[in-house]
Amino acid sequence: MWKRVFKIFISLYLPLLALSLFLLYSQKKEQIRNLSQYQQRDTELKKNYLQEQCYTFLRDTYYWSTIKYPLDFDPIGNHEDFMKPYLELINGITDYDQFRFLDLTGKEFYRVIRKRSTSIEPDSLQDKQDRDYVKAGLALKQGQLYLSQISLNRENGIIENPHKPVIRTVAPIYDANHKKIGLVVINFKMKRVLDKIKSQIAGNNIYLLDESHRIITSSLFKEDVPYEFKTKNSSMDDIFASNNTIYEKDTTYLSNNHIWSFHPVILNKTTFNFSSVVNSSSEIITPSNWVMVMENPPSLINAYILNSYQGFVMFNFCAIILLLAISYIYEKKRAQKDQFYLEVENKNILLTEKSNQLLENNSVIKDINHRLEMRNRQLSEFNYLVSHNLRSPVTTMSVLIEMMKNEKEPEKLSLLYPKLEQVTTSILNLSQDINEYVSIIDNSEIKVDDVDLFSLIDEVKNDFSETLLGHKTFEVIVKPEAWRNVQFSKFYLKSIIQNLMSNAIKYRKNNSTSYIEFETAYEDKSKVLYIRDNGTGLNLEMHGDNLFKLYKRFHRNISGKGMGLFLVKSHLDALDASITVQSEVGKGITFKIIF
Amino acid sequence: MKKSNILLVDDDEIYLFLMEKTIKSLTQDLVVNSFTDGEQAVEFITACTEKQIDLPQVIFLDINMPFLDGWGFLSEFKKLKSKIENHINIYMVSSSMMDKDKKRAADFEDLTGYVIKPIHEDKLAEIFTEIYHENW
Repeated sequence: MWKRVFKIFISLYLPLLALSLFLLYSQKKEQIRNLSQYQQRDTELKKNYLQEQCYTFLRDTYYWSTIKYPLDFDPIGNHEDFMKPYLELINGITDYDQFRFLDLTGKEFYRVIRKRSTSIEPDSLQDKQDRDYVKAGLALKQGQLYLSQISLNRENGIIENPHKPVIRTVAPIYDANHKKIGLVVINFKMKRVLDKIKSQIAGNNIYLLDESHRIITSSLFKEDVPYEFKTKNSSMDDIFASNNTIYEKDTTYLSNNHIWSFHPVILNKTTFNFSSVVNSSSEIITPSNWVMVMENPPSLINAYILNSYQGFVMFNFCAIILLLAISYIYEKKRAQKDQFYLEVENKNILLTEKSNQLLENNSVIKDINHRLEMRNRQLSEFNYLVSHNLRSPVTTMSVLIEMMKNEKEPEKLSLLYPKLEQVTTSILNLSQDINEYVSIIDNSEIKVDDVDLFSLIDEVKNDFSETLLGHKTFEVIVKPEAWRNVQFSKFYLKSIIQNLMSNAIKYRKNNSTSYIEFETAYEDKSKVLYIRDNGTGLNLEMHGDNLFKLYKRFHRNISGKGMGLFLVKSHLDALDASITVQSEVGKGITFKIIF
Repeated sequence: MKKSNILLVDDDEIYLFLMEKTIKSLTQDLVVNSFTDGEQAVEFITACTEKQIDLPQVIFLDINMPFLDGWGFLSEFKKLKSKIENHINIYMVSSSMMDKDKKRAADFEDLTGYVIKPIHEDKLAEIFTEIYHENW
């Protein structure tokens, strides 16, 4: 039972499981695609933000480079007043950490630094000719702006504490005569920008890398630009050793259940219009080509698609319960149905058996009934024989004897003796005849063979040949068209043929050619034998009832015992065959035997 | 007084002999005629009607006979009845005590009675008294 239930369940559940797995897979794929899209968009936003910030810084720097500075510009001494309004401006832009002017040799000739967030102060001048950004700044052509790498601020070569990530912009400055007088260098505080960049939107990890894959800022690190003070885990390659990143263009892909987005930020050699004048774009020179990286870690992806998994599990759980219930009910119904059919079938078999038994019994009973009827008829015949034919001479004898007792005269008595003898003789004859009859009806096991009727007729014919010698022609005609052999007692059949042939000879007409004809036929699937003659015939209306009875004679002038047809009928009865007769006076007689 | 004939019809010749003997021992006045089968008896009755000869008053008729048995005789007699003026008493005589025969006999209204063999003297006397009263 449970095995079948399980089978049905499996056959129902497997397709459902496959379908739900497919749906889960496609849903997951779709969700990862969505996640990728979101991440790509977020990365792009971050990148744009960084780019915008850089443009803002560069626009400031461009502004400082477009000012026409006085000849022999001395911001600390002669031109302090000139600088005053600009100093207000510098103070107001809180992103400015340092603002400096350098001469063409790389020495500072103006320097203000932000000590507190709201005020700037002049600081001691330094020689910066060896610094990369100074060298790069001095090499700038007109129309070019320099943007430095993001780095931790160092004072006198030592990283300032607390760490202060900065980016420097450099642009050449010109006096009123368009003569290049030096450089403007601005340190922008990057803390705010980097914090914004690494602020997580949806738990994704964010990295800003330089072109050597070194981490500038990351949501994973509290401190920015870690490679400057740390040797380990400061590079993307350190963290993710097998990272085959493509940096040349925006890329988003799924790898090892991480979604990675790489958006390069390439500013070097790009041009941008910072002024309000059309067609006066500036070229940006920068050593830093960044990559904005976002990572969707597996935990986040899994959390995002957790709902799908939950749905999948819930659906499958419900499906399993439901299908198990369905399978169980179906199987139970089926079992009940099978049981019912089995019972019906068994009953049917039983009924069929009983019906067959009844039919068999019926046929047996019918057979017995038939035999009983036959036996009854025979007994009644026998009874009749005894009550008429035997009782009659016996009563006669009793009367005779009584009379002889009373007779006194010897003469008359002597007349009575021969009568007594006559009666006893007739009783003897009768008892012989009865004996013959009893032997027929009492013979319960008659030997039945496949008898060849026509060779039997030939045999019987020879018995009469002597009788027929010297007489007028008597023909025996045979017509074995339908059949030759019949299942019957050979002895009885011979007796029947003898009696019928004997009658046909006895009752033939003298003035014509006589014959007896035997013809076989099939009627209603039974074998039928017709025996016809052209003898004197018989008035059946008068004698029909008595034709087959004992001691009935119908022709006064022909000797006969009245036994022949009685025996014929008895023989046929004993073997369940029947005989009928048709006749007309003067036109012969036809017997029909149905086997 | 002229007595009418008695007709005996039976194939048992010894029976006929005995009956004639018994009747003669009872009376000398009755003339007895006998036949050994029904056919002869029918022929005799037919002849009587044709020749205006008096018919017998009593017929003792056996059932079992060749050629025409008792029943056959009764059927033939029925056909001749219209030509017969007198009433004829027909007694069926049989050694059979079977109910079947008795019942069949009851169906024939021409029958006066059914007598079982052997017929003794006193039974005969009884029958004669019934028919001829004291006149035999």
